[in-house]
Amino acid sequence: MYNTIEDYLEALKKEMQGSDAALTQDALADAREHLSLALDAASEKTPDVNEAAALKSIIEEYGTPDETASAYREIERRTSPSLKKGEKPNSFLGLVFGVYVDPRTWGSLLFMFITFVTGIIYFTWAVTGLSLSVSFLILIIGVPFMILFLLSVQGLALLEGRLVEALLGVRMPRRPIFAQPGLKWLERLKALLTDKHTWLSLLYMVLQMPLGVLYFSLLVTLIVLSLLFMAAPFIQLIWNYPIISMGFERIFLPYWALILMAVGGFLTLTLTMHLARATGWLHGRYAKALLVS
Amino acid sequence: MTELSGHTKKFQKELNAGTSSLVLLSVLSRSKEAMYGYQIAKMLEESGPEIAIMKQGTLYPVLRSLEENGLLESLVEPSVSGPPRRYYKITEDGRGALVEWLEIWKQTKKFVDANLKG
Repeated sequence: MYNTIEDYLEALKKEMQGSDAALTQDALADAREHLSLALDAASEKTPDVNEAAALKSIIEEYGTPDETASAYREIERRTSPSLKKGEKPNSFLGLVFGVYVDPRTWGSLLFMFITFVTGIIYFTWAVTGLSLSVSFLILIIGVPFMILFLLSVQGLALLEGRLVEALLGVRMPRRPIFAQPGLKWLERLKALLTDKHTWLSLLYMVLQMPLGVLYFSLLVTLIVLSLLFMAAPFIQLIWNYPIISMGFERIFLPYWALILMAVGGFLTLTLTMHLARATGWLHGRYAKALLVS
Repeated sequence: MTELSGHTKKFQKELNAGTSSLVLLSVLSRSKEAMYGYQIAKMLEESGPEIAIMKQGTLYPVLRSLEENGLLESLVEPSVSGPPRRYYKITEDGRGALVEWLEIWKQTKKFVDANLKG
């Protein structure tokens, strides 16, 4: 029924349709590892074995695509992603201020700060690698270099996926994707170049830098601003230091304005938290669309 | 293997859901070196009865969930031919869990056997 491993994987992919893309990728990786090892073992025992016949008995032991697919779905149903979705708060206050105790908020916040650093690294890596690959193409090392570079992009995409899953709670692949085994250098390069996944990952890496800078400056500005507003009344009350001074003019604000300022600062901080959580949610979806084929 | 009816298949699957974790953990606790999925599947096949109780493909998601729960750890190693292999090793938490699971298994076995005899 299945003449090659690829046939089986194709059928498995079809069976996995509708389930999480990242889970599908893991299931395919496991199946590829097992089936190719089993096939190698079979051809070692009897060198002139018919591939389709050998595969038939191997699959009988491994399980049909629908059996395998349902095993993965079953397990996935029982394991939850690292950050569970919190219970929906039903009061208005819970809805507004619950953001401070929601782990997703802090995960998003951390992720946005980290993106500032990883974004620069990804961007540099992508741009340097791509331009070197293209210019090396006229040399003999061009093809191997480009393959290595594109493989590193896939590796970094996996790594970023782990980061996204840990901090943003979006299910991402846990296994690397494999190129078909036994390919020649040029064929391997062709496979990599025609893979949509490669280019989308590269695009993601390049876009991470502007996004990281945007996230970082937005967060720092908003957080500093709200903390400043919250601290201002204390500064005036305790140290008798004016909040606003223009030239020689020193302006002390009345008490009601001070209180208003502190409350405003706290509300700005709360708003920033909501913004961070929403951005994290959006970024998770965006990362999944670009990094998971 | 003769074709089993739907109910029987479902029953077998539900039984396997628990026992496969126990078996995998026990196999890996006895192995001195890290093992990869195919190796484990082969070993189970050789030690086991003539009838294959569980499909080998179902072992992989179980290995994965054990890893996610911190009972196993894994390492990917590239191979010369074919895709890289994922090697699994038991963790300290895993050894702790195994001791408890074995005790539960002993009691379950006793309970089921006692009731089946009637």
